[in-house]
Amino acid sequence: MKRIVCFVFLCGAALAQVPDAQPQPGAAPAASQESSQGEKKPGGSSTFLGNDVPFFDPGSDIVQWNGKSWNINNNRIFEARFEKFLNAPEATTETDRAYNRILTQIMDKLAPNNISAKSTDEAFQLLPQASEFDIDARLCDAIANQVYAAWLAKRSNARLTAANQSLEKERQRLEWNSKMTAAGTSLGAPSSSDPAASEEWKKKQQLKRDMEMQPLVTRLAEVNALLKANQLKREVAELQVKIEFQALIVQHFLQRRFQHVVIGTRFYRSIFSDGDSLLRVGEDSKSLFSKTTGMPPTVGTLDSLANEAMRDVREGVQAFKFLLEKDELESATKRLAETFILGEYMPEVRTISRDDKRRALAFVQQSNQLISAIEVKDYALAEKLVKSLDVTAKDFDNSKPMAAIETARTVAAMHIAKAKNAAVSGDKSTLESELKSATEIWPRNPALAEVGGMIFSQADVQQRALVDFDQLLSQKNHRQIFDDKMRFIAATAMYPEKQEQLRKVLDDMATIEAAIIRAQEVEKRGDYAGAWESAETAFLQFPDDNKLNQVRANLTTKAPEFVRALKQAEEKERKGQLGSSLAWYLKAQRAYAASDFARQGIERVNAQLLPDAK
Amino acid sequence: MPRRKKSSLQPLGILAAVLLIAAAFLGSALFRSAGNDPFRTVPALDIPAFLENANSLRGNVYKVEGEVSNSLAWSPSAGRLIAVDVKDETIPVLVTTEFNAMNIQRGQKFIFVIEVDENGLLKTKNLSKA
Repeated sequence: MKRIVCFVFLCGAALAQVPDAQPQPGAAPAASQESSQGEKKPGGSSTFLGNDVPFFDPGSDIVQWNGKSWNINNNRIFEARFEKFLNAPEATTETDRAYNRILTQIMDKLAPNNISAKSTDEAFQLLPQASEFDIDARLCDAIANQVYAAWLAKRSNARLTAANQSLEKERQRLEWNSKMTAAGTSLGAPSSSDPAASEEWKKKQQLKRDMEMQPLVTRLAEVNALLKANQLKREVAELQVKIEFQALIVQHFLQRRFQHVVIGTRFYRSIFSDGDSLLRVGEDSKSLFSKTTGMPPTVGTLDSLANEAMRDVREGVQAFKFLLEKDELESATKRLAETFILGEYMPEVRTISRDDKRRALAFVQQSNQLISAIEVKDYALAEKLVKSLDVTAKDFDNSKPMAAIETARTVAAMHIAKAKNAAVSGDKSTLESELKSATEIWPRNPALAEVGGMIFSQADVQQRALVDFDQLLSQKNHRQIFDDKMRFIAATAMYPEKQEQLRKVLDDMATIEAAIIRAQEVEKRGDYAGAWESAETAFLQFPDDNKLNQVRANLTTKAPEFVRALKQAEEKERKGQLGSSLAWYLKAQRAYAASDFARQGIERVNAQLLPDAK
Repeated sequence: MPRRKKSSLQPLGILAAVLLIAAAFLGSALFRSAGNDPFRTVPALDIPAFLENANSLRGNVYKVEGEVSNSLAWSPSAGRLIAVDVKDETIPVLVTTEFNAMNIQRGQKFIFVIEVDENGLLKTKNLSKA
C-alpha cells in the first residue's frame, strides 16, 4: 500500500495539500534526521509538476514538499478530512449500493473476457446513470465525454481516409493525363523535307504540350499536398484524443478514483486497439513512473496500479476491523488513516460502520489532544490523556509522552523548590528567575499556581502585618507585637528600618518579661515587697505594658504597707517635706530591709538635708 | 467552856494594810518617774502628724524618746543623722554638732528634745539617756 501511497504523493499536486508553514512536531525529527545524515532528498532535484515534487517517506510518514515537511498523520487538512470521514455515517444506503452496482456493471461489461461492441455500448450507456449520483462527482460523465470525443475522432479519421482515397484517384487520373499529354501526337506534322517547317512545328507542339501540362502538374501537386495534409491531420487528431483520454485517466488516478481509472483504461483499450498504450508524459514523469512503480508509464500501468490500490484498500479495511476487535486502537487508526489516504472513495472504506469509525475518532482526538497538550506544555492534561489512552488502546506506546512529562515535572519541581527557598530568604531576583524557568518548562503546573498563590498570599499577609506593626507601634502596644513576634519578624524581613524598630521592641519586651519572671520567682519565695520592687523597676521603664502593670498591681496588694510607705515617701520628697519623706523611707526600709527604693530614697533625701554629708 | 470571841477586825486590817502598801508603792513609783524625765514639761512629738506633714510642725519643739536603730549620715557641719525607733515607727533625728562629744550607738535609748526645722527635719536641741 505504501508504494501506491508514495506514488500518489509523488504525483500529488492534484491533492494540493498545503504544507504547514512550520514543520509539525512529528515531522521535525524526521527532517532533522535526514539532514543530519546528509542524505539527498529524493524529490529535491525533480522539476515534475513544479519546482519541488512532494516526496513521501513511508518509513516515517513524512511528506516533504517545497522545502517543508509534515507528517501525514499530523496535518491540519488531513486531520480535518480524516475526522470528517470518521464522523460521517457509513455509505450503506440504497443510493450508495445502486451507484456501486452500476460501477461494477460497467467494469464487468468492459472486462477483457466480456468486451464486445455491444458490451462497450452498454457500458457507455451506463456512464450517464452513474454520473447522476453525487458521490460520482460527474466523473463518469467526463469519461463518457472523452469516449464520445474519441469516437468522433475515429469517425473523422474515417472521413479523412475516404477523402484521401478520392484524392488518390484524382492523383492517379492527373498522372495519367499528364503522361498522355507528355506523350503528345504526331498528327499534322510537316514533312521532314522542310527542316525549318519541321523545327517550327516542333516548337509549336512543345509549347502546346507545356500549356496543356501546366494545370495538370499544378493540380497534381495540390492533390499530393492534400493527401499529406489529411494524413497528418488524422495522425494528429488521434494522438490528441489519446493524450486527452490519458490525461483524464491520470487525473482520476491522482484523485484516487481507482474504479474510474479501471473503467477509463478499459474504454481506452476498446477504442484505441492499435496497441499503442504508452502514456504521453514528460521524461521526468516517465522516470518517476518507472522508478516508483518499476513499470513503464502506460495505460496498463495505471490499470494495474489502480487494481492493486483497490486490493490494498480492501486489505487495509480488513486489518482495521481486526485490530479494532483486539482493542489495538493505535495500529487500527494508523491502518485506517493509510487506507483512507489511498481509498477515500472506495466502497470498502465508505461502508465502514460509523461506530467503528467513532472508536478510531476518539483515539485520534485524544492523540491529537495529547500532542497539543505536550506542545503547549500542559503536562497535567498530557498525563491524564496518556492514562486514558493506555486504557482504551492496548497498543498505545506511552514511553515518549511519559518521558517528556516526567522530565518536565522533575525539572519544574526543582525550579519551584529553588523558588520557594528564595521566597523564604527574601531573594527576589532568584525567586523571579526560578519561577520564570519553572513557568517556561510547565506553564500550567498546578504546583506553580500553588506557589504563586502562596507567594501572593504571603505578600498580602506581609503587607497586613506591616500595617499592624505600624499601628501597634504608634499605640505603644509592644506586648501585642511581642505576642505576635514571628509574624512581624517575617513581615519586616525585607525592611531594615522596621526590622530595627522591631528589634528594639523585642529587646524591651525581653527586659519586661525578665522582670516579670524575676518578680514571680521572688513572689514564690513569699517576698512580696521584693517582688513588687522588681516589677516596679521594670514598670518605671516600661509603664505601658499591661501584663507588667497587672503583675505590679497584684503584688501591690500583697505588700501594701511597704508600697504605701514608699509612695508616701516619694510624694513627700516631691513636695519638699524631706523630714516626713525620710521618715516614710525609713518606715519602708523597716518593712523591707533589702529595699533598693528605700535605700536610694534615704540616700537621696539625706543628700538634700545634709549636702556635706560623708 | 465559854465560847471564844472571834476577832472580826482582823481581815479588814489586813486589807487596809495592803491598800496602804499599794498606795505607797504607786506614789513612790510616780514620784520616782517624774523625777527621772528631765524634759517632762516638753510635749511629746505627734508621730502621725509628723509623718503626715512635718512642715506643718516647723519651729515647734518636742521631745521624743526612742532607741537608736541606725546611723544615716554624718555632716561635719550639721552633725549626725540617726534613725530612732519610736514605738512602731522610725523617725530621723539630727543630733547636732554640740552633742558630738556624746557617744550615740545603736540600741541606746535616748530622750531627744527636738525642733522641727524648715525641711521638716528633727534637730536635736537636747538629749539625755532614757
